[in-house]
This record gives sequence, structure tokens and C-alpha cells, in this order.
Amino acid sequence: MENLVLEATQSSPQIVFDAETGVLEIKGKSYPENPAEFYAPVLRWLKDYLDLADTDEVVVNMEVIYLNSSSSKAFLNLLQALDDAAVKGKRVTVNWRYHKENEIGLECGEEFGQDLESLTFNLVEIAER
Amino acid sequence: MALDVYPLYERLTNQEIIFCFCGSASQPIVEGIGETLLQRMELEGTDTGVVGRVFQVFVEQMQNIVNYSAERIPPPAEGGEELAVGILIVGREDGSFCVSCGNHIENRHVEFLSTTLGKLQALDKDQLKALYKERRKNGHSGSKGAGLGLIDMARKASKPLEFSITPVDEKKSFFSLTTFI
Repeated sequence: MENLVLEATQSSPQIVFDAETGVLEIKGKSYPENPAEFYAPVLRWLKDYLDLADTDEVVVNMEVIYLNSSSSKAFLNLLQALDDAAVKGKRVTVNWRYHKENEIGLECGEEFGQDLESLTFNLVEIAER
Repeated sequence: MALDVYPLYERLTNQEIIFCFCGSASQPIVEGIGETLLQRMELEGTDTGVVGRVFQVFVEQMQNIVNYSAERIPPPAEGGEELAVGILIVGREDGSFCVSCGNHIENRHVEFLSTTLGKLQALDKDQLKALYKERRKNGHSGSKGAGLGLIDMARKASKPLEFSITPVDEKKSFFSLTTFI
């Protein structure tokens, strides 16, 4: 399966999903004009990967400084797909990375964590920029 | 006769308006102004949490104009992007930031909007959080934001959202919204 690589723009994050290592990374800001449209291919890749990949272990690193409300909905869909895979037996770890002084980042991570049941969700504080 | 903008400039700056936009908006405008606003608040040493909340509210309000303003400049016949018209102001008042926006809406949306905002005004932070999470999980994603944007703004605000709707003619009204942070 091919890797998914999207470069960051002013309003969308860098996305690097490595099919071989099972490490998926999302980093940056997310407030594109139409998040549902922007994240549709990302969700499709993720679902295919979870269905097809041989590996049992998936690690997702998310470092999102800011996301608008409709991106937040799109993120929940991605996390829900990962949670469903965890229910079916995959070992899924999400590392939600946030800067110490970014209280919105922490709150946002906590609230995603509360909505997910089976995957391992870690809140990881990182040093100041 | 050229318009003398000095009185307008004076009036705005005297009222501690740090940013004022009126005209046609699009996503590149949201991004350009948003980055500049972030830069300014950081240069002024604004608390990082406040910077994040002001930026978040700014983006939601600007994107509401882009997505929902009833005043639009159509694209050329061969396609392209239409522009939406509105106003957005960022200012300071008694130590808080306030972000206000305004745009025309169709009269058929007046009731829905005022009922929705009226309900949000009556909710406390925990109730807003519960509503946000419920909508995010179950809301249909057909609408560009599933109403999440308004709830999100109410959550980021330091006091209830303020809004007004002024009738303009038989088709349109003017909607304005203020968020204090």
C-alpha cells in the first residue's frame, strides 16, 4: 500500500501516514474551508490501511496547534475508525502531543480521549517551541 | 470627492479596535488576516491561551461569513469562486478581547438562528461542553459545521454570546454577533 503524504498549508496540517511502519502523523493547524472534503481521502486511506495491513500495531502521533469546529468533527471520524480497529483486536496507540502553554490543545485532546473506548490514548506534553 | 478616512480611523482606534474588515471575504483572506492577528497578539505578549481562543473565534466568525452570508458576489460565468460580503471587528473592552461579525441573512433563517443562539445563551460551560460533544458525535456533517461553530464560540467566550438581527427588507435581515474573550 502506498504511503499518504500531504504537505502542510497555511490552513491544513502536514499528514504522513507510513504504511510500512504503521506510524501515522498529523502535525500543524487545521482550518481548511471545507474540512469534510479535505479529510475524506485521509479517512479512506486510513480505513483501507486498517482493513488491509498485516501489522497489528498502529501508532498515531497528533500535534495540532489549532483546529476549527468542523475539522474537529473530521478528526473524531478518524479517531473513531482507529477505535473500531482497536475493538477488533489491533493495538492502536494515539499520542496527542500539545505544548505546555496551549490550554486549548490539552482540553481538545482530553475531550477526544473521553470519546474513545478501546484504543490507548496518551496526552503528551511537549516543551515550549 | 475622496472620502476622508481619518475620522473613521480615529473613531475606531479610540474605541480600541485593533482590526477591522468590511468587504468580500474568502478562505485566503481568513488565512492571511488570521496569521497577522496571531502575530500581533504574540508581539504584544498576550497570554497563549487567550491568543488561541481569539484566533479560534476569529476563524469561526470569518468562515461563517464565507459560508453563510446572504450577500454574495457571483463568480464569472466560466466558474471560479464566489465571494461573500460581511464585516468583522476585533477590539478590546475592559481588559477582554471582543470579536464581532455581521452579515446579511435570508429572513427564512432568522427564527432558527435566534432560537439556536437563545438556547446557547442559557447554557453554562458544562452544558455547552456536553452539547458540543453530542453534536460532534451525532450531528450530520451535511451542514458545513453542524452548528458546532456557534457552540464552540460560546465555549471559548468569557460571557454569553450577544447577537442582534435587524430587518432590512422583505428578503433579508442583518445579523450581528459578538463574542467576548
